[in-house]
Amino acid sequence: MADLAFLLVIFFMVTSNFVKEAHVELEEASSPDVEPMKESQLSVTMDKNGDLWLQGKPCPAAVLEEGIRALILERGDKVVMLKIDKDIRQEKYGPVFMALSKAGAEIALVGRKEKE
Amino acid sequence: MALHKSRTLFEIDVTSFADIAVLLIIFFILTTTFMVPAGNKLEIPSGSTDPAQADQKQLTINLTGTAIRYGFEGRRMSVEELRTALLKENFKAKPPSKRIVIVNSTPDVPYETYFEVVMAISSADGVLALLEEEGKTAK
Repeated sequence: MADLAFLLVIFFMVTSNFVKEAHVELEEASSPDVEPMKESQLSVTMDKNGDLWLQGKPCPAAVLEEGIRALILERGDKVVMLKIDKDIRQEKYGPVFMALSKAGAEIALVGRKEKE
Repeated sequence: MALHKSRTLFEIDVTSFADIAVLLIIFFILTTTFMVPAGNKLEIPSGSTDPAQADQKQLTINLTGTAIRYGFEGRRMSVEELRTALLKENFKAKPPSKRIVIVNSTPDVPYETYFEVVMAISSADGVLALLEEEGKTAK
């Protein structure tokens, strides 16, 4: 019985993934057209204050493009998961799209499934 | 007379601990939901195109605040109506150059509105064009 319990605990320890952006406060945008997708290694998040987070760490907007370019070269994965708070205005998120596009990233927008 | 000295063994019965541990593990196995990211990968045209040509031939959606205006006529519509109109475009049957949709946004457009429009374009197999404000260069 105890062996079984330990095996199960070890299984969950090995298979668990830590949520990188657990400390980032934002409310996801929603759409009924959202579908489950494969998780990428690269993630960019803009929280409710308009602050940028790259891989769960604060990132100034001016260095986002360089940071993404370096990560793409390092990981070999171009897909970047982009999550932005639903109330952020275009003047703040527009440059993020351009920076990712210029860095050669393939943008995957992340949101919530909204019931139709 | 033989004296029997009995040793008192101090033991803690841990059977119940193991039972509780297994019950807790079974509870978390049943209640855990794996977090799967949900969204859509954007299809963005590769290479640059002539902005003048892009404006004339491609479908354009203009966003002002939370208002959505569709096509050259600038017909105002809701997200549901936009979804229906995009499906009617039948992008699947068109060549890649005809599937481009240009989305123009004013600075006050909230991301919720932009997200809904972009998801609708993506689910209709359209290709989103990102425009820079300064040079109006299609990317």
